[in-house]
Amino acid sequence: MKNALVLARKDFESYVHSWAGVLVSVFFLLIAGIFFSFFVLGYAKISLEAAKGAYETVQGLGLTRFVFSSFFLNMGSLLIFWVPLLSMRAFAEERKQETLELLFTYPLSDFEIVWGKFLALLGFLKMLLLPTLVYVLILSKLGGDLDWGPVAIGYAGFLLLGSAYLSLGLFISSLADSQIVSAIVTFGCLLIFWILDWVAGVTDGFWAHFFSALSPLDHFREFTFGVLDLSHIAYFVFFHFYFLFLTLRSIETRHWKG
Amino acid sequence: MASPDPKFEVAPPVAPVMVRVEDISKNFGNVRAIEHVSFEIRQGEVLGFLGPNGAGKTTAMRILTGFFPPTQGRVWIGEIELFKKPKEAKRHIGYMPESVSLYGDMKVLEFLGFVARIKNVPRGKRAAHIEEKLQRCGVGEVKNRLIGQLSKGYRQRIGLAQALIGDPGVLILDEPTNGLDPKQIVEVRSLIRELGKERTLILSTHILPEVSMVCDRVLIMNRGSVVASGTTEELEAGLKKAHEIFVVMGDRCRKEEALDILRSISGIDRITVTEEKNDQVSFSMVISRNEDLRPVISRLFVERKLPLLEIRSGRLSLEEIFMKIVLDEKSGRDF
Ligand SMILES: Nc1ncnc2c1ncn2[C@@H]1O[C@H](COP(=O)(O)OP(=O)(O)O)[C@@H](O)[C@H]1O
Ligand SMILES: [Mg+2]
Repeated sequence: MKNALVLARKDFESYVHSWAGVLVSVFFLLIAGIFFSFFVLGYAKISLEAAKGAYETVQGLGLTRFVFSSFFLNMGSLLIFWVPLLSMRAFAEERKQETLELLFTYPLSDFEIVWGKFLALLGFLKMLLLPTLVYVLILSKLGGDLDWGPVAIGYAGFLLLGSAYLSLGLFISSLADSQIVSAIVTFGCLLIFWILDWVAGVTDGFWAHFFSALSPLDHFREFTFGVLDLSHIAYFVFFHFYFLFLTLRSIETRHWKG
Repeated sequence: MASPDPKFEVAPPVAPVMVRVEDISKNFGNVRAIEHVSFEIRQGEVLGFLGPNGAGKTTAMRILTGFFPPTQGRVWIGEIELFKKPKEAKRHIGYMPESVSLYGDMKVLEFLGFVARIKNVPRGKRAAHIEEKLQRCGVGEVKNRLIGQLSKGYRQRIGLAQALIGDPGVLILDEPTNGLDPKQIVEVRSLIRELGKERTLILSTHILPEVSMVCDRVLIMNRGSVVASGTTEELEAGLKKAHEIFVVMGDRCRKEEALDILRSISGIDRITVTEEKNDQVSFSMVISRNEDLRPVISRLFVERKLPLLEIRSGRLSLEEIFMKIVLDEKSGRDF
C-alpha cells in the first residue's frame, strides 16, 4: 500500500501543476465563495424579516440547515463539471506520454496502481474543500449558532459523492485514448446520473422509487440534511468500488501499443 | 596445510540462471508476435536480441518485464515465476523501453526520486543512490530541468538511470542506441559495455555490429522466432566458414535448367539471380559449409553442356550473413 501512496503523490503533484487542476481550483473556490455568501445573505434577510414577524413558518429553520444544505446540494450538482476535468488525466495522460509501459513494469500491483491513482484524485478534491472550512469558521466566529454534526455529515457526504464520481471518471480514463474523450464521456455519464434525479421527480409510484434509488444526488441529499443513513453510505461505497473494480479489469487487459 | 591437489579441483562454479524463458508465444488477435521462444541467461552475461523491425524483440522484452503476460509459456526471474508473483519479480528488473517515454512534466530529480521510492530504495540512502546514477549516466548537469525540455540523448540516459535505480539484478534495454546521433551512440555503447561487466543484461538491436561489440551471446530473431543462437565466438566461427559463389553462364534461355542443377547440389543455401544482360546470366549463392563447391558446379555444368563463363568464390560480410539468416528463416540452426 505504501507504493500506492508514492504513486498518488506523483499524480497529485502533476494535477496541481496542470492547467486543468489550476482551472478547476480557481472556479471551484470562486463558485463556492459566491454560493456561500449568497446563502448567508439570504439567511440574514429571511431571519431579519422573520424577526419582524413576516414569516411565522421560518422560525424553525436553523442557520446550519438553511446555509449548508443549499451549499452542499449545489456544490454536489456542480461536481459533474469538475470531476471529468480531474479524472481525465489519470490514465489518458499516461497513455499520451506513453509512460504506462514504465509504470506497469515497476514493482507495483495493478490494484496499487488503481488505488494510487484514485487517492491522488481524492486528495485533490480534499484540497479543494480545505478553504471552504475557512468559510465555516468565519460563520461560527460571526456568531452563528452552528450545528457541527450536520456540517460534518455534509462534508462526508460530499466526499462520498466525489469518490463515487471520481471512480467512474477513473474507469473511463482507463479506456479512453485521449483526455478530451475521457472528459466528454465522463461528463455524459455523470449527466445521465444527474438526470435520474429529476426523472425520479416527475415519475411516481414504482418508477419514482426506482430512479431515486439509482440517483446519486437523491442519496446525497439526505447527507446535506444532516442525516446519516447506512443505506445511503452503502450506495456510495458500492458505486465507488464497482467502478474501481472495472478500472482494475480494464488495466489488466493491456494489449495496447507503446 | 597441504595445498589442494590440482587433480581434485572442482570445476569453476556455474553462475546462477537469472532469467529463464520457457516456450513463450504471444498473439495479438491473429498476429503471432512471437512463437515458441525459449532461452536462459546466467548471471553476468550480456545477451543480445538481434532482428529486423517487427521480429518480436519488443514483444519478448515486454513479456520479460511483466508488462503483459505471454499467450503461452512461462518466465522465471531468478527463482521467482514472473506472472505468479509479478511484484516481487519486478524488483529484480530494470527496464528501458524502446521509445523511452518519460513524464515530461517532471524534473529529472523528481522523477528519479519517484522511481527510487517505488523501487523501495531506503529513505536515508535515496539521495546518494540517485546522485550516483545521475553521475554514472552523465545527466548530473540537467538534474533540475524538466524532462520534457531535454534532448533525445539526455532522455535516453535518464531512461537508463531509472532502469539502474534500485540496483536490479537484470537490466533489459530495448534498442538503447536507437535514434541517437553518432557521438551519443558511442557514449551509450561504452556505458552499456561497462554495465555489462557487473550485471546481467539483455539488449535488443537491429544493428549487427552492436551485437559483436557488447554481447556475449546472441539470439537472432525473425518473424517472432529465434532463427539462430550462440555466443559471439560461435557466431563468428560459423561466419568464417560461410562464403559465396558467383557463376556467370552464357546461355540466358537455359536459366531454369541451370537453377535446377544448382538447387540439386546440397550445401547451397540460397540462390539469387543477380544479373541478366545480353545473353548472360549471373547467379550468386550462399554456402554455409566449409567446403569448396566450385569443382562440383563446373563438372555438372560441363556434363549438361551449359556454357560456364566464370566461377569464383568470395567472403560473406557479417551483414550479408545476417540478411541471409533473416531472409531464409526456414534454415533455423545453431552456429
Ligand atoms: N499491441 C500490439 N497489437 C498488435 N500487434 C502488435 C502489437 N505489438 C506488436 N505487434 C506486432 O507484433 C510483431 C512484433 O513486433 P515488435 O515486438 O514490436 O517487433 P520489434 O521490436 O522486433 O521491431 C509485429 O508484427 C507487430 O506489428
Ligand atoms: Mg522494437
